[in-house]
Amino acid sequence: MEDSSSTVKIVVPPKQSFSKEWASDQKAFKGVPWGKAMMWIFLVSDTFVFSIFLISYMTVRFSTKAEWPNASEVFGLHVGHYNVPLLLIAIMTFILITSSGTMALAVKYGYERNRKMCGYLMLATAIFGASFVGMQAFEWTKLISEGVRPWENPFGAPQFGAIFFMITGFHGTHVTIGVIFLFIMTRKVFRGDFDTGRRGFFTSQKSHYEAIEIMGLYWHFVDLVWVFIFAFFYLW
Amino acid sequence: MAEDTQQHPLKIYFQVWTLLFVFSAFSYWVDWYGFESYLRWGLILAFMLLKAGFICAIFMHMWWERLPIIAAIMLPCFAILVFVFIMWHESYWTLIVRRIYFAITGS
Amino acid sequence: MAADSYEDVAKSKDTIPALEVQPQDLYHAKSFWTKYIFCQDAKVIGIQYGLTAVAIGLVGLASSWLMRMQIAFPGVIPMDPAAYYQLVTMHGMIMVVYLLTALFLGGFGNFLIPLMVGARDMVFPYVNMVSYWVFFLAVIILAASYFVPGGPTGAGWTLYPPQAITSGTPGGDGLGIVLMLVSLAVFVIGFTMGGLNYVITILQARTRGMTLMRLPLTVWGIFTATVLALFAFPALFVAGIMMTLDNMLGTSFFMPAIVQFGEQMTHEGGSPILFQHLFWFFGHPEVYIVALPAFGIVSDLISVHARKNIFGYRMMVWAIVIIGALSFIVWAHHMYVAGMNPWFGFFFATTTLIIAVPTAIKVYNWVLTLWRGNIRLTLPMLFSIAFIITFVNGGLTGLFLGNVAVDVPLSDTYFVVAHFHMVMGIAPVLVILGSIYHWFPLITGRFLNERLGRIHFWVTFIGSYAIYFPMHYLGFMGVTRRYYEVFEGEAFTYSITGINQFITIAALITGAVQFLFFYNIIVSSKRGKKAGKNPWKACSLEWRTEEVPPTHGNFGKELPVVYRWAYDFSVPGADKDYITQDTPPSAVANAKVEQT
Repeated sequence: MEDSSSTVKIVVPPKQSFSKEWASDQKAFKGVPWGKAMMWIFLVSDTFVFSIFLISYMTVRFSTKAEWPNASEVFGLHVGHYNVPLLLIAIMTFILITSSGTMALAVKYGYERNRKMCGYLMLATAIFGASFVGMQAFEWTKLISEGVRPWENPFGAPQFGAIFFMITGFHGTHVTIGVIFLFIMTRKVFRGDFDTGRRGFFTSQKSHYEAIEIMGLYWHFVDLVWVFIFAFFYLW
Repeated sequence: MAEDTQQHPLKIYFQVWTLLFVFSAFSYWVDWYGFESYLRWGLILAFMLLKAGFICAIFMHMWWERLPIIAAIMLPCFAILVFVFIMWHESYWTLIVRRIYFAITGS
Repeated sequence: MAADSYEDVAKSKDTIPALEVQPQDLYHAKSFWTKYIFCQDAKVIGIQYGLTAVAIGLVGLASSWLMRMQIAFPGVIPMDPAAYYQLVTMHGMIMVVYLLTALFLGGFGNFLIPLMVGARDMVFPYVNMVSYWVFFLAVIILAASYFVPGGPTGAGWTLYPPQAITSGTPGGDGLGIVLMLVSLAVFVIGFTMGGLNYVITILQARTRGMTLMRLPLTVWGIFTATVLALFAFPALFVAGIMMTLDNMLGTSFFMPAIVQFGEQMTHEGGSPILFQHLFWFFGHPEVYIVALPAFGIVSDLISVHARKNIFGYRMMVWAIVIIGALSFIVWAHHMYVAGMNPWFGFFFATTTLIIAVPTAIKVYNWVLTLWRGNIRLTLPMLFSIAFIITFVNGGLTGLFLGNVAVDVPLSDTYFVVAHFHMVMGIAPVLVILGSIYHWFPLITGRFLNERLGRIHFWVTFIGSYAIYFPMHYLGFMGVTRRYYEVFEGEAFTYSITGINQFITIAALITGAVQFLFFYNIIVSSKRGKKAGKNPWKACSLEWRTEEVPPTHGNFGKELPVVYRWAYDFSVPGADKDYITQDTPPSAVANAKVEQT
């Protein structure tokens, strides 16, 4: 945005103490662009959404009289003669972490104005994300074929299926939204929107490489949520 | 504007990336190996927090942010911890009440 | 001599901080549609929010009239119990979420935040516009539930399962409850978009010299309430999703094994109390989402109309912040009789009573601001004083209800109804009315009619007392709330019929006089007395725009620079009895300013 206002000089004040920066004028978060600050606060709000999902999961799991199914058996896969516990989940975890890494690098190259590298890494991230969603669809299909439904399942407490479909479904929705935006952003990067400051179709605001970092924040958050789901739902 | 604070060496990303893989492998291994009870839960939590910490700090650049925004992000999460604590106790209480009720009614 | 133009500021030698906020790239509307309908100007969006909220609020008002008629004069308006419960539910939900929350945060927030912090608009005007239209969609979905078979939900505004989604409850087995939950989820999504904008505008887009401790308390109130909303609405959102799943898919999050009309339902092992926790984790902060903006706005009104700086500004700010923080750990005081873990009563009673401390600080500070002030009994001032009285009254009954032992016999009686209507119904509404009288000149450039306003004030104030004060008495007698019919002679003495009839008549009159207010608004916006630039001689930035009413972009070529807080009234040595926030120190060299 600052190139539109070449006549006005904008400064980022040097680091000061915590209380001085809070007490200062204009910006409480010095040097943080509006969009990034807004994404961060949104992510905190979204953290509450996922935390409350997980808290509900904890409550129903701890308070149910019925047996809670053993996730490591339910989500196991048969490979040859072996029963590998949680194999698909492990692969999904690794894929999501891989995509997080490519996203982090995309942000780095974005700030270096390396359009090509940034674009290819974004594309890789989007493809990894899409494959994650695909695997989740496979996992859902497998469980449904085994008789797991939101209202009942053959393994134990009926809340198991309900929690599973709700939490992974909500996380999967986040991933899907992220993938859609990643593809849109990839197109914008390759078209050079962020170099020319082309105006957004809806917002009529100029494009800026900050958008990639904001996208990155969202994507890492999706990965972060998966870390918690992996630990609490699949491993616990 | 923000660019000058967001230039980091490539190396650190690869290091963190590797660490995340290692921690994920470890937490998977906890399940594979079949640890039980507190050791299992402790290890799961430890690896989870390590992974979350590295993603937040390095990938999401929080390590390089200034304190005010870090505080603004972290402080509200205490409300979640209180909620977790309360609901933890509440769920055990619900379980006790259910056990008593079903013991009396014999169902 | 106060600087009246920005050139004066520029000429003076007062130090101006370096610019940290980039100039905003505003979209200038070209057609009628982008100017008034799909508008990106926060002021227009604020008015849109306000009008929509009031429109649906009228449905809530009509519901309360019909309810009161049924309680006091059963049979005059034919109504079955189901219709009565639907009225109770929709009245509660509309008033709390769609009227008060939307009006304070969406309406006042949008209109006042950019003006008061010295910004040209919200940081993301497009997102702000989408926020309003999503809110509008939520209102449409809510209104649609009146027209589906079975009608809207009648589960009570708390929507407790299992009864909310079983077929004995009106709307429970039809679309009523589903539309309610969907509408709430849509509302949360829309609000999040707006709320992020308000928070970031206040934190990141203030004008030069505007520190957080120079913000008017209105902005502090709206800011803290918005933060609460951003972190509390997720609980409602999640609870709504889970209940929709319970209803549509037959999951058992909240539904225990239950027999309905002699038939075993398929649900098994769910926990209804989990919903109550989730609901009140949202619901209690929601109380402060409504109250905190009112606290902030009333502080400004009192200060301006008593021509005196607000007493203990820093204390006021910290009280708002502490109330906001504490509001997240008091929620289960709504659940003392719900069968939760008995130890919680101790914990939540303690935190609830602690929250009375910052609240009491605020009340003392309002009174001490009035103390020896140059009080002008303008309409905003009258409403502010009425607010303090009502709020103290409602707050004191809150002390009763916060204690477990006292709460248990009073639960679900009219005492509770009286308490929360006093403290989060009447009190915030009085502030809304007062602030409309205060800021109407900013919106239209004209005053509201004083004579009609005074009639409106006295009838509203005395009328609302006539409604809710006797309800305390009903509560002590044990009259249960939400009952369709109260039989006299059996459980209660004859006197409760008389009281109920008195309350109903008062409610009809108090409701009707609001239409006088609407008439006043419509007539005065065209023919009211011209107000001029700063009619109340206030210090804050919203009156310092180049034109009043402010145009798109709010301020002139240059954004104002702020040198002081918003409360420099009656400063000794100054020429006028107020020094606006953008007056540089050199322009008022003789004034003995205490705080900047």
